[in-house]
Amino acid sequence: MQLHSQSPRVAQAIVLPKLGNSVESAIILRWHVAVGAAVRTGEALCEVETDKAVLEVESSASGVLLARFADEGEEVPVLGTIAVVGRAGESHAEFAPAASPPSAAPAPAPLAEEAAKAQPVSAGQDGRIAISPRARRLARTNDIDYGSIDGSGPDGRIIERDIQALLRRRPKLSPVAKKMLDSGDYQLDRSAAAGARVTKADLLPAAEDQRDAVNAVPLTGVRRTIARRMLESLQTTAQLTLHRSADAVTLRRLRAKFKHSDEALGLRRVTINDLILFAVARTLPAFPALNARFENDTIYQQRAAQLGMAVDTERGLLVPVIRDADALSLRQLSAEARRLSIACRDGEIKPDEMTGGSFTVTNLGGLGIDSFTPILNPPQVAILGAGAISLKPVEGESGVDFQPQIALSLTVNHQVVDGAPAARFLAQLALNLRDVDMLLAAETG
Amino acid sequence: MPKSLTIDPVEVRQRACIEAPTIPVNAYAQDPEAEALRYSRGELLTIYHDMLLIREFETALDRIKKEGAYRGIAYEHRGPAHLSIGQEAAAVGQCLHLEPQDFILGSHRSHGEILAKGLAAIRKLDDDSLQEIMEAYTGGAALRVVETIEEAESIKRLAQNYLIYGTYAEIFARETGFNRGMGGSMHTFFPPFGIMPNNAIVGGSADIAVGMALYKRVNRRPGIVIANIGDSSVASGPVWEAMNFAAMDQYHTLWDADVGGAPPILFNFVNNFYGMGGQPQGETLGFGMLARVGLGINADAMHSERVDGYDPLAVADATLRKKTILLEGRGPALLDVITYRYSGHSPSDASSYRERDEVEMWREHDSIRGFGDYLRVNGYADADALAAIETTIIEQISKIVAAAADLNRSPRLDVAQDVIGEMMFSNQPADKLDEREPDVLQTMAESRLSVTSGKHRFGLDDEGNPRPKLKTLTFAEAIFEAMLHRFYHDPSMIAYGEENRDWGGAFGAYRGLTEAIPYHRLFNTPISEAAIVGSAVGYALAGGRVVAELMYCDFMGRAGDEIFNQMAKWQAMSANVLTMPLALRVSVGMKYGAQHSQDWSSLVAHIPGLKVYFPATPYDAKGMLNLALRGSDPVVFFESQRLYTQTETLFSGGVPVDYYEVEEGEPYRHRAGSDLTIVSIGAALYRALEAAAQLEARYQLSAEVIDARFLNPLNYAPIIDSVKKTGLVLLCSDAAERGSFLHTMASNITQLAFDHLDGPVAVLGARNWITPPAELEDSFFPGVEWIIDMIHERLLPLPGHQPQSKQGKLEIMTRNQAGA
Repeated sequence: MQLHSQSPRVAQAIVLPKLGNSVESAIILRWHVAVGAAVRTGEALCEVETDKAVLEVESSASGVLLARFADEGEEVPVLGTIAVVGRAGESHAEFAPAASPPSAAPAPAPLAEEAAKAQPVSAGQDGRIAISPRARRLARTNDIDYGSIDGSGPDGRIIERDIQALLRRRPKLSPVAKKMLDSGDYQLDRSAAAGARVTKADLLPAAEDQRDAVNAVPLTGVRRTIARRMLESLQTTAQLTLHRSADAVTLRRLRAKFKHSDEALGLRRVTINDLILFAVARTLPAFPALNARFENDTIYQQRAAQLGMAVDTERGLLVPVIRDADALSLRQLSAEARRLSIACRDGEIKPDEMTGGSFTVTNLGGLGIDSFTPILNPPQVAILGAGAISLKPVEGESGVDFQPQIALSLTVNHQVVDGAPAARFLAQLALNLRDVDMLLAAETG
Repeated sequence: MPKSLTIDPVEVRQRACIEAPTIPVNAYAQDPEAEALRYSRGELLTIYHDMLLIREFETALDRIKKEGAYRGIAYEHRGPAHLSIGQEAAAVGQCLHLEPQDFILGSHRSHGEILAKGLAAIRKLDDDSLQEIMEAYTGGAALRVVETIEEAESIKRLAQNYLIYGTYAEIFARETGFNRGMGGSMHTFFPPFGIMPNNAIVGGSADIAVGMALYKRVNRRPGIVIANIGDSSVASGPVWEAMNFAAMDQYHTLWDADVGGAPPILFNFVNNFYGMGGQPQGETLGFGMLARVGLGINADAMHSERVDGYDPLAVADATLRKKTILLEGRGPALLDVITYRYSGHSPSDASSYRERDEVEMWREHDSIRGFGDYLRVNGYADADALAAIETTIIEQISKIVAAAADLNRSPRLDVAQDVIGEMMFSNQPADKLDEREPDVLQTMAESRLSVTSGKHRFGLDDEGNPRPKLKTLTFAEAIFEAMLHRFYHDPSMIAYGEENRDWGGAFGAYRGLTEAIPYHRLFNTPISEAAIVGSAVGYALAGGRVVAELMYCDFMGRAGDEIFNQMAKWQAMSANVLTMPLALRVSVGMKYGAQHSQDWSSLVAHIPGLKVYFPATPYDAKGMLNLALRGSDPVVFFESQRLYTQTETLFSGGVPVDYYEVEEGEPYRHRAGSDLTIVSIGAALYRALEAAAQLEARYQLSAEVIDARFLNPLNYAPIIDSVKKTGLVLLCSDAAERGSFLHTMASNITQLAFDHLDGPVAVLGARNWITPPAELEDSFFPGVEWIIDMIHERLLPLPGHQPQSKQGKLEIMTRNQAGA
């Protein structure tokens, strides 16, 4: 009699790949694939966040996801095993990461299915939230954002009762009350009992603060990194901020001209910030003391301008780096700046695109800030903050004229940069901004 | 089994040997003098004419199929053309002595038989009858076209044109064809001339013909029935079963003598020596001569003989002699009519299996030329007269082919409308299919109805406790009451199967019928499932109501062709010319292991043309069988053996004594609920209800329970309404899960209620295994805990629930990967 031959073992460990030179670990943000589900090589398994960016981890094998060794929110070291893919029913316990580091992955559950049950997740394959059609319909009808709900259905699927539970917590509004609330001019009186019907009488004018309303937001990912690094910056460097303003007539004129220029020139999307970046990039090479990194009691002055630019995103501040900015034309620099901002906002910026800066520009002018004190991004030694352009009185030939001027704030690490060289840099930059058209003309000549 | 037949050991143990009749071979000797006395000149010329007409008819098709044109009429024919060129004498000889009420059924190669029988019938019917038939048939559609072909010199000529046109138009798939194009070359037929369905399944006509002969015998209708089947078909099981079914001793030993004996059936083997390319004589079979087979069936050897099918007079003589025997109730009969086809099996046949010389040798013996010589030599006609016949025929065929090929005159069905869908079922309920007083042995009041009607009609007393089963109407007795009602209202209704009489059905449903109903309306059959179903198909097609029974669902495999290709198809293939008032009762087993415990309702639900009922309570059993037994469509009626002793515990009004019907296709909600829906098919209803009770007690969940009752037709509306309300649904039955009808249901629910679903539709069937022994059945059939476990795993996690079976999603993957 011939025995059935055993199927060859196919299970493979999926490790957290190296996500950049300086990345040592990442936080699992969201699993896309449930245990027991089929997955293909190249398919996104989960989303992880490093201190630099949010990235997808792709499966390096095809089969059934047999186990996951990290929960959402858990930090995993690079090259650590996060999951096992193989044939349904195969054992996988041997792939579980060793339990030695105290904060490492939890002990794997004996049955893959039970593991899945123990850790409900609402995200299914393709990053889609697992929600039943019925629950989704109910949520949509009632304007409920179900993105952050933990589903109580099988495999964490959001089912009708989860939405109903939310609805029960939400007060029922009379039609008039709903209209008033929707206008934004009113808010709910906290004393209205939860679940009871809310009428016009239960609404207060919006002006009155909701004094006790607290929204507890745990720090994760980028926010946690920013929190740590900003504090470190202030605690480990001696920051000095200088303020001055610069003639912005040309900046404004050029921007207006670009906006209506021939599309073929490719200049229409050049912003004032691009012009500032351009001017900074052209000014820096003459001031190596400011274009530098200070590490281990050594100043590393750089020839090329590796220009960091602060980008505001939903997850927090990110600072991608424009490489060799001094060698780029205005058009090239503008395009690169735009590319990097979009990548940051879409969460697609790569970790390596956010390292190696030698100087940073941050701009709050668009938000109407007159001037501010930028915080250094160590080990860099200087950061320029650009403020709003506003009219300022200047002495002209026929008396006092009002001229548009841009506010500049330069923070330097006084440990290695003194006030005077910083002021000289700022003065040269102001000149270059005033005559940015000459700078551009020199370039083309 | 009948007590009147004693098996005497002394007698059966006696030494003896079997004497068998001799089988005549080509016994007919041509005798012109005798034939001159027997046949008029006109009759003899008719034989020549009809043979020639058939040959020209087939030749035209051959040209069209191979050359795309016949005598300048271009036409591309996409469908099949199995031609009978060379076999004309066998067809014409057979029909010479047949009356319109005699039936012939044929095969895929029956154009010649259709024409021969039609021509014979036209000669025997008077003009008024012919006119009436042509006007009435499909509203005179074909007649209107035929009238444009030529100014016919007589009604007979008009009817001939009608016959030829109706056949061509059918072959060309035209709405004006005999079966509106739905039958085509291999199936066309025309009942008013006694031309009954031709069957494209080899031997398929045998058991259907037996059923038609049974109809004639039981209902005292005139005429005989002939199954024209090929030599190769004798080796197929259903043909063998049909011959045995037709030869049962009980027609003589047990049936009332006045019924008239055995069904008048002639198994006419059209022996052209080839089954496609295989040669039964000498290669693929061992009978030597086919006629020998009769020796195996009964003491009369089926009055079997071999006949020279190249001499029309020999065939006519033999057929008439057999007809006489059959009308005397002494059938069945068998003829081995040797013949030869010059053309291939079909246009794609390269005749690689025979020498060209062989065909030439037969052409030397050509029956038409030979008979022409006979006419000339014996002074009936000269060469010119014969040539004139040929010229007339060619002209006639040319005109008719042109009309049939012309899409303006002969359009196809407008399939953009759902006309074919409308043909699938006839939906013509009728209390009775005949006006006679039903033959019965007792009055209804004397029958066992007097006992069952006095029983408790509801299984629970006022306190909700079960009443004693013996004093309460059971599921089996509900079946009995429905059967009894129809037996007493429709004289045409008969019922049969294994152990139907005396034993009362293997599960007692027919207890009491033996005493009430005479043998010819209720009898035991041989263990021949194919013939049981096939003959029932024939009985129904002939116009009678019939209830056939398969003792176990698992035996459906033995009747596969009869259920899937015959029972399901003939209404639509006849374009609703014929109806199929046939109920096939099928018992679904348990406890008897792998070959006696399968629910195959999904198999028949898959086949278009069948209605599928599956009652689960006595109320539904009676109401749904009443419905089936008044209908005109084929119904496969499933009954679970778990339920035969079940009393009515769900319909609080109990089972009415009076007649009632359940509305067709309507599911029934037995329990209202708000959290989830369970839909069951068959006996799983009771487990679904128990699961619902436990869900309520253990988890405070309110489950709605719906019994589908019907698989086809099925009104999904009540199920969708429920799913829209609850959002969650589990489907459950005892059928093996893979390919189960439940998946069809699941798919439809998903389509119809997608936005209302709070989880995927869960399907719970039996395991995809063999059914294990009774002791291990709990591992196979879905139980109450499985239902709860699957709800927990797939639909709604139940707090603290500890599953006792594996019903998770992973099981779907692993079980399918394993193929089990």
